[in-house]
Amino acid sequence: MAKKTIQANEIRELVLDAIGEIFCTAHPETRQLLENALAREKDEIARDMLETILGNHEIAQRESLPLCQDTGLLVVFAELGNGVLIEGGSLRDIIGSAAAEAWDKYYLRDSIAWDPLRRGTNQKGTTLPLILHLEQIPGDELILHFALKGGGSENCSFLKMMLPGAGMRGVEEFVIQSVVESGGRPCPPVMVGVGIGGNFEECAILAKKALMLPSEQKDEELREMEERILDEINKRGKGVMGFAGSTTALKVCILAKPCHIASLPVAVNIDCHAHRVTSRRINVSRETSDDSGATR
Amino acid sequence: MKQHRLLVPSKGTDFSHLQPGDKVLLSGVIHTARDQAHQRLVELISRNESLPFDLANTALFYCGPSPTPPGKVCGAIGPTTSSRMDPYTVPLLEQGLKIMIGKGERSADVETAIKKYGALYLVCCGGTSALLAQTVISFDLFAWPELGAEAIYRLEVKDLPCYVAIR
Repeated sequence: MAKKTIQANEIRELVLDAIGEIFCTAHPETRQLLENALAREKDEIARDMLETILGNHEIAQRESLPLCQDTGLLVVFAELGNGVLIEGGSLRDIIGSAAAEAWDKYYLRDSIAWDPLRRGTNQKGTTLPLILHLEQIPGDELILHFALKGGGSENCSFLKMMLPGAGMRGVEEFVIQSVVESGGRPCPPVMVGVGIGGNFEECAILAKKALMLPSEQKDEELREMEERILDEINKRGKGVMGFAGSTTALKVCILAKPCHIASLPVAVNIDCHAHRVTSRRINVSRETSDDSGATR
Repeated sequence: MKQHRLLVPSKGTDFSHLQPGDKVLLSGVIHTARDQAHQRLVELISRNESLPFDLANTALFYCGPSPTPPGKVCGAIGPTTSSRMDPYTVPLLEQGLKIMIGKGERSADVETAIKKYGALYLVCCGGTSALLAQTVISFDLFAWPELGAEAIYRLEVKDLPCYVAIR
């Protein structure tokens, strides 16, 4: 059977819509988690900061201003159905040029160092360098998961090839220490993505997926592990902005994959409380849906 | 939580009434400076050349603003991670810098130098940039436009909310 096509312009519109939503709109779940944190938080300074963060949500939305001046790098996880053909360019070029358009349209900050080592000249391209992960799935859909990922939180990323004997407790301690030692740098309260298993690069990608993608069903032990890590981070952490109180993390999400018998790769990826993520899907019946309600 | 008003320039100002954890509403003229601007400032100092402004008369805001949309005073403004500026900070304190605004911890060396020079490190709440932008009265590109977001911008602010971290 012939593949059904998705035109570049449909993807372009969806990219503009997704970025247009997340640069200035707080994610509903993050907002709820922040409100819950404020209800629990006893420290006066931490409460003042949490109220400022919640107040910022309203002003960003009203003024169409970015939640954070660091509008980040664009990270996209794409799931492309095997019955779908994209017409009008490669997915990277289509998303990259639409993103460059979105950056201009919404007055987002150009945060690209085109040459990571020789900096100091302000370049601009017609496409935006983006971090794209493409996976094929069965079916007739294109699903795109977007994040505007800030640099301060991304700098607080950790990967360790642990000894298999470290086990669950060893992994928990590594994750807790990674977040606690990051202090105020990633703008706590943070979201914590953890990748366990795979290999060197796959556990890093798993950690990012754990941050960005809607929560998967997972086994009870992993779910309890997430809760233990979250509790311990909030016991040992330095609080809001690494400054005050007992709200250092809002959520911990773990993804695990099979790995080599010799290995136990673990990666930790942190996102700030601005947590600008959303998902969109196109199916071949030409219906575009907003998946953001299901996004974590 | 005690709250204070602080005016910049604050040449000769004594910060001894400010305690870590106090809230400070800062008003006056401040300048943004991130990694690239810091590198250039320190290069100028090492060559004994004059700086584009008097460090003692301003505050350095570790911030790379987002572009200004039409009809607004400025785009989103907010702090970036201060520890990246640690390697450049002591020479700036030696040149008279008194106030730094950023987020996160500082190195032990910088903390010692801040105390030695009677300076002040303020933390601003990260990720509240639309709210912080409402405190900006005027906003201008000041130096090194080729650095884009990392250029130096001159901001006049009224009641920019900060917290005393080190003094």
